[in-house]
Amino acid sequence: MSEEAVLYTRKMKRAAQLLFFQRHRKPGVKGWELRRSLGKNYNKVVELLNEELDKLDLKVKTVFDEEDAPEKPSEEQLERARFVLTLKNPVTASDALLSGWRIDDVAALAVTVAYIISKQGKVPQRELERLLEVKFPSWMVEYNIERFIRRGYLSRDEAGILYLDWRARAEVDQKLLLNLLMGEETRSPMEPKPE
Amino acid sequence: MRKERERLLQIIHLCSTIDKRGVDPFEVDVKQKLEALRKYLPDWESFGDLCLDAEALNKLSRVIELQGSWLKFRSSLLYVDPFLIEFKVKNLEVKTLFEIFVKAWKPIVEIEQLSPQRVMEAVDYWNKLPPIRQRLRRMPFPPGLRPGSLTLGDMLRQGFLSEHEFTEVLQTFWQELTQKAACQERIPYWSFIYAESYEETVARAYLTSFLITYGYATLEVEPLSEEKYLRPNKEIKPLPMTGRVVSVPISIEYRSWREAWEAKHLE
Repeated sequence: MSEEAVLYTRKMKRAAQLLFFQRHRKPGVKGWELRRSLGKNYNKVVELLNEELDKLDLKVKTVFDEEDAPEKPSEEQLERARFVLTLKNPVTASDALLSGWRIDDVAALAVTVAYIISKQGKVPQRELERLLEVKFPSWMVEYNIERFIRRGYLSRDEAGILYLDWRARAEVDQKLLLNLLMGEETRSPMEPKPE
Repeated sequence: MRKERERLLQIIHLCSTIDKRGVDPFEVDVKQKLEALRKYLPDWESFGDLCLDAEALNKLSRVIELQGSWLKFRSSLLYVDPFLIEFKVKNLEVKTLFEIFVKAWKPIVEIEQLSPQRVMEAVDYWNKLPPIRQRLRRMPFPPGLRPGSLTLGDMLRQGFLSEHEFTEVLQTFWQELTQKAACQERIPYWSFIYAESYEETVARAYLTSFLITYGYATLEVEPLSEEKYLRPNKEIKPLPMTGRVVSVPISIEYRSWREAWEAKHLE
């Protein structure tokens, strides 16, 4: 093995440690942390690590501060971005339930994310609450919105406007979610349930 | 000139609402608003008027920016009519919504685990840590400096509040309550404490609690509906020292205030 290959293998192991183990309250590491630990070529190391992770159905995802991910990110944007490990393919429904999420909570999250996307990324909290209260009791709606904010799916400004936050950008394939939602056939409320 | 000034304020307010609420920015007829600004400009004389004009122009330029991003978003692949989404989520079953989300959800992977090295460090730390009693003896609490809470009396004594002023404020507040409740003898709690801003409402609720504690008014709670009412006392009735005195915690939630505000303004 060449000296360079040995060096990159060592750096790749370090990158895996940084990404797997939770170091801060929020998961993942910032670009500048990776640069400090792995050197200037940290992007190359992340690419190599991605190749290895692919075999395990995992990948490193870059979550940018900006709402729309830049096509060609600058050095500065990359340094400010958060690098997280995510599953490469979606989880199964049973796995999702085993991870501590109730069906109601996931459905509420689905409605929340889809509705905010359709409203160009921001919505007054009261408006979202009214929509969720059609299906869930108000105490649960309130609890879930606070939970989504704590987990990083949403953020809220002083005026009570909700936005999609870093975790929603990292974990949810927004385009796919909308496509699936729009493609799903809805029944009219008067129509009987299929047997 | 007053009418023109009002018009500028209306434009500023409209643009701010569009920006904050995420409403369709094309609701604003920018061309017409700019023409109005141009028409008024030669008549402005004071510095304040010119600042107002500049602010209106600035807000309109923000609306144009929003119109740009609105068009960009509408032409993007992510655009779906919010009403359509609303219709869909209202008519889909919870289980279907769950299944849809799971297909588009790739959760973050993280490990919370101690390494053997960290365990060794922790054991070492534990072994070296002296018992808490020994540590406390080394750093005894200076007497009289334990954390506590200030009462109103303490604040008055230390000069943070003036008794005279506070009593005066309470008296004025008592008069206001008496006047407002004059016809019905008692007044709903919320309608008395409600003010145009949330901060003021909280301040009024705080003062009201003193009115009740000091015997200027009585708080009545309807047993079934739990509606709360304030009945002003004709003279100060100090709380009885014997018998049952109940504290009633009342939460002044921002949402409740907002609903009251919206209800009032919709009227």
